Amino acid sequence: MSALPEYRTRILLERENVPLVNGVFVSPGEEHPSDLPEMPVYLKAQIPGATSRKSSGLVRRVATTEELEENLSILLSPGEWGVAEGVLIAEGLDLTAEYYAGCMLDFGSKERLPGGMLLFSTEGGSGVEGRSATLLKMRFSLLHPPPPEEIESELKKLENLEEHAAVAGFLKGMISTFIEYKLNVLEVNPLGVLKDGSILAVDCRAEFEKSAVRKRDMDVFYPPGLRSSRDITKLEEVVELINRDDPSGTGFFRQNRETPSEGAFRVATNLCGGGGKMLWEMTTGSRTDIFTMNESDTSGGLSAFKSYRILRVILAQKDAQVLLLTGSGMAFQNQHHLAAAVWKALRESPTPLPSLLRFGGTDEDKARELFERVSGTLPVPVKTYPAVVFPNAMVDDIRDMAGETVKIGEAYITPEGEPAITVLIPPGKIYYYPERWQKDEIPPSVKACPTGFLKWNKNALTTDPEAKCIGCLMCETAALLDGNAEILIELEMPEVVD
Amino acid sequence: MAGILKYLAGVETPKTLVFGITGKQGRSKSRLMRKFGTEIIAGCTPGKGGQEVDGVPVFDSAAEAVNAFPQLNSAVLFVPAGAVRKAAIDAVDAGLKFLVLTADGVPTQDEIVLKEYVSTNDSVYLGPNTVGLLDTEGYLFGLIGGSATWARKNYRPGKVGVISRSGGLSQLLGAFHCRPNLPGPRADGSYGPLWGEDYPGLSAVVCVGGDPVPGISMLDAATAFEKDPRTEVMAVYGETGTTQENDLAEAVMNGGITKPIVVFLGGKFTKAGVSQSHAGAMIRNENETWKAKQKALLDAGITVVERPDAVFSAVLGKLKKS
Repeated sequence: MSALPEYRTRILLERENVPLVNGVFVSPGEEHPSDLPEMPVYLKAQIPGATSRKSSGLVRRVATTEELEENLSILLSPGEWGVAEGVLIAEGLDLTAEYYAGCMLDFGSKERLPGGMLLFSTEGGSGVEGRSATLLKMRFSLLHPPPPEEIESELKKLENLEEHAAVAGFLKGMISTFIEYKLNVLEVNPLGVLKDGSILAVDCRAEFEKSAVRKRDMDVFYPPGLRSSRDITKLEEVVELINRDDPSGTGFFRQNRETPSEGAFRVATNLCGGGGKMLWEMTTGSRTDIFTMNESDTSGGLSAFKSYRILRVILAQKDAQVLLLTGSGMAFQNQHHLAAAVWKALRESPTPLPSLLRFGGTDEDKARELFERVSGTLPVPVKTYPAVVFPNAMVDDIRDMAGETVKIGEAYITPEGEPAITVLIPPGKIYYYPERWQKDEIPPSVKACPTGFLKWNKNALTTDPEAKCIGCLMCETAALLDGNAEILIELEMPEVVD
Repeated sequence: MAGILKYLAGVETPKTLVFGITGKQGRSKSRLMRKFGTEIIAGCTPGKGGQEVDGVPVFDSAAEAVNAFPQLNSAVLFVPAGAVRKAAIDAVDAGLKFLVLTADGVPTQDEIVLKEYVSTNDSVYLGPNTVGLLDTEGYLFGLIGGSATWARKNYRPGKVGVISRSGGLSQLLGAFHCRPNLPGPRADGSYGPLWGEDYPGLSAVVCVGGDPVPGISMLDAATAFEKDPRTEVMAVYGETGTTQENDLAEAVMNGGITKPIVVFLGGKFTKAGVSQSHAGAMIRNENETWKAKQKALLDAGITVVERPDAVFSAVLGKLKKS
């Protein structure tokens, strides 16, 4: 789930005609707007997911232009809080009361259908759940949201509330916003009451799922040019870029932020599917001698091209000692294709790791055979496992593998020659070297293409525009194993990782 | 003999409509399903009505398809996550009784709306975020097995019903019960083949999916296996998040489910509030923790194992007793 800061949540509320306190947003490097609210004003640093902003100095009340300039400059500069997306300058109002309002998801139960949950309290501030005496909890249907009259009737059960109709209208607007943007959480805190009895949102925030964001709302949820204030490593950012230019399947990668205990084996992992991830977690979760350097999930029919690129990231982790790859044992991804990706990554990465590889699924035998055939040319030791051997047995081999970092074979040396044909398959390029294939027969690399994309016509390589390259790496694998390296593939990384 | 769909959805012989059949995924998975034995009668892709895919006629809507083929009673959706809600409602409105929603990443609000929508209809759905359902009577919905040859080789008729929240583990638990001479840890502590050529075999695999608001729950699936005469034991993969395992335990405790159950419970080290590969595995309250679920299951007399390879010997033990 991702967090939406106040100034962007305001945009959503405003679109649904929910009244808001006057405010102007200033981003770093931007000229101060002339139409500022009247003094005094509140300066609010905009950081997604930040809590307790007042006590952390991220919300400041200023009464003069000098104070505004000084504090604005501080909040727009990098600080203990990181880098703010900007500062919201909001009007300082005399409020007669402060309330709390929130919408969230109710996941239901065996007896109760799921839906939305409206929370309202006549006391603002944090810890609203604990104030049951003043808290209204109202379940509502996302399919048939309640009319203001129904909300008003619920509000009348609360003591100390007079503005029933106005609050009901406001809450109706909140529910509309919550549903329109398929949010997970929408909070207004405080919801302020003015002397004339009118109410407005003084502060607000939201949480959302990436998959719920519509294209037309992308500018609010993912503003262009916004510097990321997320907790993300450089390698994680590379995987995000890989996912962006190749959205096939799942490509999840997150590095462990904890420090390994002394003497623990540092294991880089390529886990395939939620099941693979869970098997590894159950195997090693209680062990202090194994430090899992990263979580990962490559699954859901991704190509070998994508597997290779993510593996290059996984292998690039500093201080990793061993690579461990496992899925649930019955993967959808063709395991021979996956093995080709692992072999290529181990060949081409400047930091290959001794590897423990468990293949399970279609062509799992071929996957293991591949590594048997190339064992003499690998730069690191590799051990493969059938699906019937579970990760708990693989773990026992980590100690031995982690100690073996010596080069055990000669790297594959490709023959001389220049490519005559380059086939562009973004993010890859297939190079064909005619000098390396002088025989009067179809080269193994072309025969290995499972879709018929690569064709052989009068002793020359061609492609079939009706067929598709699925990025399986079978052509290059066959060229290296059974041909004369007549086809090689270069796969671009979005950024240098090594 | 009728398969598990009779008890899940009141469907004895599935006649199926494929949403998204004109897309890459829909086309290839439809071939897998048909080769396995599923009777696919029509496809549906808005704007592509009148076309044919591998001889299957395509319609613009489920209503048009049902009008042409009134025997249609089920559907599988190979559509993007954002299109699932609309397509599923279209299928329910057309009167289809059983749906499989394969897409990952369906917005939670859409899942909640669907749950409410079908509550006033006779339809049920599996998923979202599921690899589907396979019945060894000869039909398959979704993508289990990856290819029909692989699926036929690995999923053989027998006595075990599989329920799982993970796609990979659905496939694994199903296939390994059909593997002759499967090695594993035995009850006496030794390691080796658990059985010979006479593997326990499988009645059906039901993947309820990895999302927080599933249509058919683990308890719904267990209730169907309870009624299914082929099934003698249930092998279940559960994890943190949602209350599905707790509900299953309660039903066993109350005597609603009497057949033996073995649960491999994942997520022992999952921290509260942390996102998982399965969106539904996130822990939201105390009842959804691994410890709470383990206790509930054990209190109900359900066997809980913490290693996946311990499932098979535990199932064997239950079969010997039954």
